[in-house]
Amino acid sequence: MKCNIGFRNMVASACLAALSGLAYADDALQDIAIPSLVSTYTNGSKAYMLALNDADVAQKQATATPVTQATEFKPPMFSGSNAHKYMGLTTVALAGLTMLTAPGEGCEQNCPPPSQQPKRQTNGTHAKLAKAAAFMAAATLTTGVLNHWDDFHLEDGWTDPDNMHVMLGTAGALLMMYAVNKSAKSSVPTSHAAMAELGAAAMVVAIKLTW
Amino acid sequence: MSKKLKVVALLAGTLIVNGAALAEESFGGWLINFDRTKEVKPVTDKRYLKECGECHFAYQPGLLPARSWEKLLNADALKNHFGDNAEFDKDTLQAIHDYAVENAADKSFYKRSRKIALATAEGEAPLRITEVRYIKRKHKDIPEKIVKGNKDVKSLSNCNKCHTQADKGVFDNDTVSIPNYPDWDN
Repeated sequence: MKCNIGFRNMVASACLAALSGLAYADDALQDIAIPSLVSTYTNGSKAYMLALNDADVAQKQATATPVTQATEFKPPMFSGSNAHKYMGLTTVALAGLTMLTAPGEGCEQNCPPPSQQPKRQTNGTHAKLAKAAAFMAAATLTTGVLNHWDDFHLEDGWTDPDNMHVMLGTAGALLMMYAVNKSAKSSVPTSHAAMAELGAAAMVVAIKLTW
Repeated sequence: MSKKLKVVALLAGTLIVNGAALAEESFGGWLINFDRTKEVKPVTDKRYLKECGECHFAYQPGLLPARSWEKLLNADALKNHFGDNAEFDKDTLQAIHDYAVENAADKSFYKRSRKIALATAEGEAPLRITEVRYIKRKHKDIPEKIVKGNKDVKSLSNCNKCHTQADKGVFDNDTVSIPNYPDWDN
């Protein structure tokens, strides 16, 4: 196998780090308290009770609950809810970048024949960003459905912020996907910016409503 | 930087700064404010915190509609406040009443408060947080044994036993930790 020394060193370091981590984890597991007067280790021990020569004290100590220190709760850094939030924000950011990198206006009326039109760029920065935005919009919808399905209650009316968030977010994502699809399928420049921008705006409003 | 761009940046900056200050004052203030307002407005009034927090968790006014606070925070009602006498002197009662009513769910721009207000039927004035339709719905799938049967929780009214950031007005799922049931949502 052809492998340079630097890479081999890196792999060796990673293996050592992983092994030392395992050893440390093992140490932590083995960290069992040494038996003491108050530990449950002595619970029910006749010899201990006799040595103590005080049934009442022994009873109290034997039934004492071991003290476990409560650890402070920290909200998870990665959760479904957070994923939905960051995907939504990324969608809007990508939509903004797509808008900024637009090559120019499309043509729908009084257009020159296709042979005279400039060749379409279907894999340029604008197209790539647009596809990424549409993909991210779909991912945002999916994570929203998975993590917030129980926040949508029509009985609270259309003005409920979560209901509006769902409607505007879905409409926005669908408009963006439609715009990308429309442009990608066309062999000549086609107007799709307004639809995509409307979709992005709907998503911004959806985010603001539940921000 | 062009003059036009500078003007726009300055305008945006002013809007953001003003927006933060106006966040709870008006719809316009909320609209241009970028601070997160998805939960319930935390209690900022020291007197409210002290007087209510002495006996129980100082529930944010945004957890009940104004008509509920009107019913709860009057001299007669406080003589029997869920079985206890919680009378205040006239000035304190007035201050607490005004703070609660001004920041009630139906007057707040915070998302969870708006949801509470919208889920409460017109004319309905729940007196307990646990009677609020939205809050009941959010907790309906939680088995009794991990609330009532849990010696460290006992009742849904003890919000801060499980909602670890309840004092900040944050009640989302990510901040829930039920005592004795660390894997409650699995």
